Amino acid sequence: MPANATAEAAANRFGLGARPGDLAAMTDPKGWLRSQLDPRAVQSPLLEGQPTSAQYQQAYYDVLAMRRQARMNAPPALPDAAGGLPAKAAKTPEVAARQKQQRQTLIADLVARQRTAVLASNAFAERLVRFWSNHFAISLDKRRAGLFAPSMEREAIRPHVFGRFGDMVLAVETHPGMLAYLDNARSIGTDSRAAQRARMRTNGNRPGLNENLAREIMELHTLGVAGGYTQQDVIELAKAITGWSLRTPREMEMQSTPFVFRPGAHEPGVRTVLGRRYVEDGESQGRAILSTLAVHPATARHVSTQLARHFVADQPPPALVDAMQRAWLASDGDLATVYRTLIDHPASWDASAVKFKTPDDFLLSAMRACALDAPAHAALSLKLLATLGQPVFEPRSPAGFGDVAADWGGPDALLKRVQSAEALAERVSLADPNRAAADALGRTLDAETATAVRRAESPRQGLALMIASPAFQWRR
Amino acid sequence: MDPGRRRFLTASALAAAMGALPRFAVAAASRADTRLLIVFLRGGMDGLHVLQPVGDPAYARLRGALADAAPPQAHLDGLFAWHPALQTLSTLYAHKSLLPVVAVAPPYRDRSHFEAQDCVENGTGGPGATPSGWLNRCVGAMPGGEGLALAAVMPMILRGTGNVRTWSPPLPDAVDPILMQRLQLLYAADPLLAPAFARVDPQGGASMDMRGTAKGSRLVQMADDAGRFMAAPQGPRIAFVEDTGWDTHGNEAAILAGKLRELDDAVQAFQQAAQPVWANTAVVIVSEFGRTAAVNGTGGTDHGTGGLAFVTGGAVRGGRIGGDWPGLAPGDLNENRDLRTTTDMRGLFKGLLRDHLDLQEGVLDRVVFPGSAAVRAMDGLVHA
Repeated sequence: MPANATAEAAANRFGLGARPGDLAAMTDPKGWLRSQLDPRAVQSPLLEGQPTSAQYQQAYYDVLAMRRQARMNAPPALPDAAGGLPAKAAKTPEVAARQKQQRQTLIADLVARQRTAVLASNAFAERLVRFWSNHFAISLDKRRAGLFAPSMEREAIRPHVFGRFGDMVLAVETHPGMLAYLDNARSIGTDSRAAQRARMRTNGNRPGLNENLAREIMELHTLGVAGGYTQQDVIELAKAITGWSLRTPREMEMQSTPFVFRPGAHEPGVRTVLGRRYVEDGESQGRAILSTLAVHPATARHVSTQLARHFVADQPPPALVDAMQRAWLASDGDLATVYRTLIDHPASWDASAVKFKTPDDFLLSAMRACALDAPAHAALSLKLLATLGQPVFEPRSPAGFGDVAADWGGPDALLKRVQSAEALAERVSLADPNRAAADALGRTLDAETATAVRRAESPRQGLALMIASPAFQWRR
Repeated sequence: MDPGRRRFLTASALAAAMGALPRFAVAAASRADTRLLIVFLRGGMDGLHVLQPVGDPAYARLRGALADAAPPQAHLDGLFAWHPALQTLSTLYAHKSLLPVVAVAPPYRDRSHFEAQDCVENGTGGPGATPSGWLNRCVGAMPGGEGLALAAVMPMILRGTGNVRTWSPPLPDAVDPILMQRLQLLYAADPLLAPAFARVDPQGGASMDMRGTAKGSRLVQMADDAGRFMAAPQGPRIAFVEDTGWDTHGNEAAILAGKLRELDDAVQAFQQAAQPVWANTAVVIVSEFGRTAAVNGTGGTDHGTGGLAFVTGGAVRGGRIGGDWPGLAPGDLNENRDLRTTTDMRGLFKGLLRDHLDLQEGVLDRVVFPGSAAVRAMDGLVHA
């Protein structure tokens, strides 16, 4: 069934949820989306002055140095009876205070990120940022990598959201967050100089290759699991990116980026990936392979499918994916061209196009509808995200959080949405829930929901009812 | 008291308690009253580090410093020895209530976590083959069957039309009952969300007083909760607990020392919470694949094939090794890289469903694990 491009779909399915007045002001929904295909659309004053990766890295090294000092001052520890490693030296008050300060810095950074999304006028662009951060997921449960999650989004995702996919891939895979998360920082070519030196020592440490990052680049970031690569391709890519590492504390200066290429750890020689030979030396070899992967037809297919699934439907229309893949290949992976194809395709506006909100979508759209944009609200949303099963930057898997209704729609999850709706509604003052429902849902507000909101016992209950209603759980 | 000594004492107390069980309580009183808990360790547990094949001539060479970091304290036989953190599991083994199954994996040979997990959960010959999970179909095939996932959202293994629900620790605030009532009317009109919302329990499972006091990781708490639910009158006969954090590409010795202690504590917490039904219970602990036979360059292991499973519980015929050991010699390895698979994980599940839950083989071959007639159900997993 052909359908018009509605303001509701643009604001609620392509964007992060209508704020009061957004729907009424939107006269040209497609034009509103197209106007955001601009790098300036993802700049936010709230993000200026947040720590860089180098600053996070330096702060982490400072704590390591403090702990080392504390251990040297403490008596030696013995392995415990269960054969575990010796207990860490008791934290000194100085170390504890510094770690607390670091946690607060990270939380302030995450709060700024939430508020950026709640306040964004260019909510389509801001949704794209979150899509890519989840596509290239790193997880806070690996503490060292998690330090970099918000800074990686600023440094490797935002600058490339409207550029070439290949540039984003290179920025992400050389970012300290990804190198630490998927273990590449310590991966060493077995025939490299570093490995030869290590073999001459006799302490039993035999450094070598780690395939983790190479496999996830192929399986998750580019080609997709059905992308036609083999175990041998994974090993070859892993060898090509040996030496992509992080600076040590001694090498670190505040001005330098934490990424470093270590020629001594790089596996020498020619690599063959997907049948193509790469004769480059050193760092440029891995870069050349990633540039090829970024414009491979399987990558165009895999990532276009994920984009279409994110914006249109759990089972994206094949014709739409075909069109996006063609645009990808014709433009050498120019993302703005791919998004334009998405915006212009009739299937993107079909009446069947509908998505169930993830917890993040649910909370952001509720906070936007209710203008809950203070730092305390953003901090509350971080807690609620964890309760709803989507703790921020903590997918616990390099595949990121799930993007289909089945991932989020269980009874327990729905109950927690009701509880979250109450918690949010409690924080709204002087709201007219009828107005809020009409402003948020527009023509997708059904008569039954409107009636239930009108008949609520209190404005607060009406607002909670609107946020918890089935109509509000969908991006239509 | 230092933690090692505390753990030793609890393990001894467990042994004493098990010795005191009357013999007749060991056999299930009735097949209609048996319980099955599935524990899924996501990430690919390194079986070779858990149940260490110290008697295999290739083991020390392949494992090197990783083996040295966790010297075993107890041996099962001439071939295998326990990781030192597994005191509860080794005690259960000594009391013939725990059966390790070696070289087991789902019928999937590529090394993607997500596809392998999907294969474990959908119960077919490969990933992506069905929209429902085999444990859900198992629940559907049991008269009056009910399944519980200790999770906020339904895991793949329990998705489907069978009678299942999720439960996870609730938010502290109870929901306004009126709000709930009005929402029920609205959700009834949403065809996609109505079924899930109809099963929302507004009291969060009335479970505040059901909650145990087990301290420890989330896995330990979930195991304790699962035991409590399953032991309750009219409790679910089928439950599912999952955990993450087993993907040990680096620094494996230290990570697994912690994770295995959590697993050991979780089994103990479940055994204690489920005490009233323990004699009629089987717990199966699985992971989606094993890991490389050799240590990698970062003190860890990469994705492999043949893995390790445990079956434990009062109903289980343990105290021996299940499955066939394929060996670690270069010619015996799969792709000269990881442990060959000798047992299809579906055979393990089918053996339990047939002999412990009393499901018919025809139902197992066609409905629960469709197209699996050629995969033999393992015999003799539980007491006759």
